[in-house]
Amino acid sequence: MPSTGDETGLGAGLARGEEARLRRQIRIGRWLSPFWVPLAVAVMRWGFGWRVENAAELREAYRRLRSESSAPLLICANHLTLVDSFLVAWALGSPGFYLRHYDALPWNLPETTNFATTLWSRAGVYLMKSVPIRRGGAREEVAATLDRFAWLLRRGEVGLVFPEGGRSRTGRVDPESSAYGVGRVVKAIPECRVLCVYLRGEKQENWSALPVRGDRFRGAIAMVEPKSDRSGLRASLEISRQIVAKLADLERDHFDR
Amino acid sequence: MTEQEVFQQVVKILTPYVKNQEALDQVAMGTNILEDLKVNSARLVDVVLAFEDEFDIEIADEDVDKVNAVGDAVTLILQKVG
Repeated sequence: MPSTGDETGLGAGLARGEEARLRRQIRIGRWLSPFWVPLAVAVMRWGFGWRVENAAELREAYRRLRSESSAPLLICANHLTLVDSFLVAWALGSPGFYLRHYDALPWNLPETTNFATTLWSRAGVYLMKSVPIRRGGAREEVAATLDRFAWLLRRGEVGLVFPEGGRSRTGRVDPESSAYGVGRVVKAIPECRVLCVYLRGEKQENWSALPVRGDRFRGAIAMVEPKSDRSGLRASLEISRQIVAKLADLERDHFDR
Repeated sequence: MTEQEVFQQVVKILTPYVKNQEALDQVAMGTNILEDLKVNSARLVDVVLAFEDEFDIEIADEDVDKVNAVGDAVTLILQKVG
């Protein structure tokens, strides 16, 4: 469990209208999940020919983690392409698993300018468990989005974030690059568990919009317990850095394999 | 410290992170740090940490949310400095 230098009230309580909107988003997404979940996986598997080589092992580990505790779970993954959130979710669970355990399907914080610009993309984002965020937007707007995200975690939903704050421009996890907002969310939820996921396609040499068609992915996961004795921003930043450092460890193992 | 002194220190701290030199030349209390000065949002944390070091104060996460304009930073620092 991460230690907390100081806890913020992030996600502790939203305005009633806001909570109702998120509950409605969950309900609608769940009702329509028998259509969109298999469709999303079909596009990845047969449309792009992608395959996660060790999916069975990753899915078993994820199932075990979920069954061990009902504490909030935040997945922190490396980030190389625009569809990483789909790939990570697919690596951790089959469509059938997510249809049976809809709350195991992670929520995302997609960048508004990448994913929520047209009516169709906004509808897709709405259905696919996403809360769009405008990075570099007004601080209060970003904080409000993190508040919604933390609220979802507190009520048993799983979250997925990319603690590097964007796709790695070097193609490798950069321990110097960490988004403090991730640490802020973790710090705000004392019981939050953090699962690091490293996923990479064999042909993925650098960052890109999409993985190469037909690419084969391998993943690795590890729990991390970030701690900080500091407070405020420094605690958030330290927690984020520990998470990114764990991803860098997983990356080293990936290439040493 | 006077408001003017804090303002000058804040601008000095911001300067290395500013991408819009023109806006920096005309910087005022109402200048938006991200939108006008084009400071990278990811670097805003470094800026705030520099404020903490320079003025020997501690700024909470929620306080950072209120910092949009240079004047917001000045007001916040003056409150913390007392």
